[in-house]
Parts: sequence; structure tokens; C-alpha cells
Amino acid sequence: MPPMSTGPSTRGLPIEISGLTKHFGSVLAVDNLDFVVEPGRVTGFLGPNGSGKTTTLRMLLGLVTPNAGRATVGGQLYRELQNPSGTVGAVLEATSFHPARRARTHLRMVARAGGHDEGRADVVLDLVGLTADAKRKVGGFSMGMRQRLELASALVGDPDVLILDEPSNGLDPQGIAWLRDLMRYLAGEGRTILVSSHLLAEMAQTIDNAVIVSHGKLRAQGTLESITSGIAEASMHARTPEADRLCAVLTEAKVRFRRLSQDLVAVDGMTPEQLGPLLASNQIILYELTNQGADLEAIFLSLTSGMGFGELASPA
Amino acid sequence: MKNAVRSELLKMRTMPGVWVCFGLAFPLTALLIWAVFASAGGEPGHTYLYVHTLNQKRVLLGAGYVGITFLAPVLGVICITSEYRHKTITSTLLLTPRRALVLDAKIIATAWWCALMAILSLVTVAAIGLPWNAALGGVTSHVTDQLGAVVPGLLAATILLGLFGLGFGTLVKNQVAGILVVIGGTFILEPLLVALARGIFHYDLNWLPSAAAEALAGALARGGIGGNHDATSHLLTWWQGGLAMIGWGVIPLTLGYFTTVRRDVT
Repeated sequence: MPPMSTGPSTRGLPIEISGLTKHFGSVLAVDNLDFVVEPGRVTGFLGPNGSGKTTTLRMLLGLVTPNAGRATVGGQLYRELQNPSGTVGAVLEATSFHPARRARTHLRMVARAGGHDEGRADVVLDLVGLTADAKRKVGGFSMGMRQRLELASALVGDPDVLILDEPSNGLDPQGIAWLRDLMRYLAGEGRTILVSSHLLAEMAQTIDNAVIVSHGKLRAQGTLESITSGIAEASMHARTPEADRLCAVLTEAKVRFRRLSQDLVAVDGMTPEQLGPLLASNQIILYELTNQGADLEAIFLSLTSGMGFGELASPA
Repeated sequence: MKNAVRSELLKMRTMPGVWVCFGLAFPLTALLIWAVFASAGGEPGHTYLYVHTLNQKRVLLGAGYVGITFLAPVLGVICITSEYRHKTITSTLLLTPRRALVLDAKIIATAWWCALMAILSLVTVAAIGLPWNAALGGVTSHVTDQLGAVVPGLLAATILLGLFGLGFGTLVKNQVAGILVVIGGTFILEPLLVALARGIFHYDLNWLPSAAAEALAGALARGGIGGNHDATSHLLTWWQGGLAMIGWGVIPLTLGYFTTVRRDVT
């Protein structure tokens, strides 16, 4: 990973969201949201479509005016920052380019507006792997290239805080791996990284902390481990030739389960220590018993299916 | 402020629409130069004569004004509407979160590019009109003596027409609609309204944008070239025209700031 800056190694600023509320007409997009994003960590901002993630980010960046509450970076509103693009870099959408403008020109324009050295354009082009395309017009760029250019725009000011809204959209697998390494590297420098994404498997490999929202409300926040381990809805997968009898036993024991295939049953809400004795006492032959835990995908599915997720991991 | 202005200037320099406007300004100016010599000759299209009256000399120097009447507002429209057309308004507001500052920077950038357009028209006159006039037997210094009478009005009118376009663009946001309405308003709507007002109410509607700019531009339009008012019309004085044009810029810019620029960008 090429060096981003010559700045100090610990340089992030906290993001604080406090009582943030936004109505669009009769629709309540964000409902009294509170959370804090810490510097030096990659924080995932997760939730289903329409959960208010993008609206929250746009309120944080001063693009949308909240009806109530505050969203600050280092204790200041975005529009009050002395050096906005040198403090916060944001990737919101990969379509906000003039198609006739060349990549380097776009970045020079960004550098000018932020009062940064125009030479930064070449530095960030190199960082995102677009040096060879610097003189090409953005209209001819693929979605992945636009996403890289958007990221380059965010990095022109060498910001302390990086806010990324679905940054891996359009990136190929190599691009996603590169983005993951970049986020980890920048967080390692002490910067604050807040990233929203629906690619949960990818997020699980990248983030340290998670903030989970649904219907505009905070459902959970904390470290990834605290969220996943604190969930009672851990799931055990039992592979057995006696799946029918196992289902009957579970029904009698009033345990929730899902028949996944002929010989595979998912048992919800039980730990191995609880399920093992139950199987033994009923002398059920078992080929395999795996603890699925409660991964991000399970959390996400819980949210989208409305399964009382709020009770599973309490907001910190 | 300086950073935002520098960014806006670069932004406009890299917009194809801006160069299309400049590309049109050149042949339109050349066309009007031809028309000036043709009309000076008495038989348009057949006989050319060097410019010999005061009015002809000034109109020759301001030959680019006809193109400017619609190209300058189009430039202003493009400056703001391209932000919405290409969704670059998001990155613009991220880089300059104080929205009034964005509008201020656009005002300065539009004024700068409009001034360049006016200068281009003068350069075209210098490159084509003056040598042609000399070839027809005219004395170049007799024409250039009128620069002081023409240039201030030409520059001021061009800049204020551009700001009118910028203000209008903040209101409509849609680039195609903005350009069509500006051109249609200049060549169809305003002449129609002027004619109706004169015919029905016997009122000289001389404060609409083209007429007000024409008044501000002063002597160069007195010959009736390109204006919606003929020689018998009662144009405003130059300063009344200037005030009217400031109004045509400030009112839509203010309305646009509150109705468009301050809105949520979702």
C-alpha cells in the first residue's frame, strides 16, 4: 500500500450522531439516531435498503438538513469545518462526474476547491491505480473506474475521516480486496473510517465495529464480536440420518428449527451445550454438528425479516 | 472564496457547452460584420461600403452583441445546470459546504467567462472587421476612436446577461429546458410581449432582459441591429438598463438560492 501522507500516525476524529431525525414528507427516514464512530477503526454502517443509511451520511455531510439532532465530525458540523475536504473525504455516488472532464482535470478541480496542492491529483491517481487513465474522459470509464476515481477525489485532501457509501459497487474482486486493504491501512494510520455496504460477507472481513440500523432506528452498535456473540439467535446446523425424528424432538422441546435439506436441520437459539445433551438423551445419530454463530448475514436477515433484532444486541 | 472561484473557472473551462457558445460567438460576430458593411453600402447583399457614420462605427465594434444576447445567458444557464445534470452538485457542496459561497463563486466565474466572450467578439472585429473596413477605404482609427463608447456597455451588458442566465438556471435546474427557454425568450417571447404591449396597451415594454441589456449596451444597439426595439422605441437610459439587468440577475439568483441551492441534495 503506497503511503498516503506524511502526517501524524494518529489523526482521526470521532463522528458523533446525536438524536438525528429526518422526515421526507410523511416518511420518517431517520428516527432519533445516536451513535459514535471511533478513530482508528473501520466501522461498518449496515442496514437494509431504505433503512436511512444514506440519509444519515448526507446529513453528516451537510447535504441534507436534519429535522432534529446533530451530526458532527470532531465536534463540529461539516459546514463549520475550516478545511472540509482536508478533514473529511466522502464517497457517496460514483456518478457525480462531468463525462467530458478528464480524470486528472476532475481531481485538479477538487484540489483547487479544497485549497490543496494540485500535485495531489497524481498522487491519488496512483493510489487508486488510475495513472494510466489520467488523461481519459470520465464518460468512458467503467463503473469500477468511476468508483476508484470517486475514492481518489475523497483522498485528495488527505483527510482524517473517510466516509464511504457502498464503495465496492462496481468493483471487481481484486478491486474489493484492494479497497479492503486500503481501508485497513488508513484505519491503521489512525483515521476514522465509516463505510456503509450491503456486501455483508465482505464487510465481515473488513470492519472492526458495526452500527446497524433498520427503519431509521439504531438496532445495534459495538465491535463486531460483541454484536455477533451477544446474539441469542445463534444457530446450530445438525446433519443426521434421523432428521425427521430430530424435528419431532425439537417440536416437543419447543425449540425453533428449520429443515434445510433431507439430512440437515438448523436449530435456532440453542448453544452446543444445550443441543448436545438433548440429542444424546434421545439417542439421535449425529454425523455433524456445527455452530453457525450469528454472522452479519444472519443479523441482516433478522433485520429484514423483522425478527425482533433489537432485543438481541442492545445498543452500547 | 478564492479556492471556490478557481475551481469554478476550471470547471467552466472543461465544459464542452462553454466552448460551443464561444464557437458560435465567432461566426455570429463575423456574420454581423458582413451585415454592417452591407447595410453601410445601402443595398444589402450587393454593395459594401466602409463604415462612415458614428452609429455604423459603433455597431461594427459591437458586432458580437447579437450573438451575446443569447449566448451569454446560455453560458450562465450551463454554469449551474450542468451541476444538476451530471450530479456534480454533490461533490461541489462537499468541497464547498457553504452554499452561498458556491453561488458567489459561480457568479464570478460566469462574469469572467462572459467578459471573455465580449473580448472575443472585439478580437473578431479587430481580426475581420477592421481590415475589411480598411480595404473598403475606411480609416481604422476613426473606428477605434469609438472603443471607449462601446466597450464598457458591451462588457457590462454581456456580464449581466450571463448572470441573468445563471439566476434563471438556478430556478429551472434542467439544462435543456433552461437553454431552450433562454433562446426562446430572447427571440420569440420577449419580441412577442413587446409587440403585444405596444399594440394593445401602447406601452413600451423596455425593461425586459434583452431590451434592458440593449439599453445598457448603449449606442451600439441604436442602429436597430439585433434588438427587439426599433429606432423609434424608447429604450431606457444606460443606467436604467443596468439597474433593470441587475434586477434580472439578482431576483432569480436570490429565488434560486432559496428554492434550489439550499435544498436537500438527496
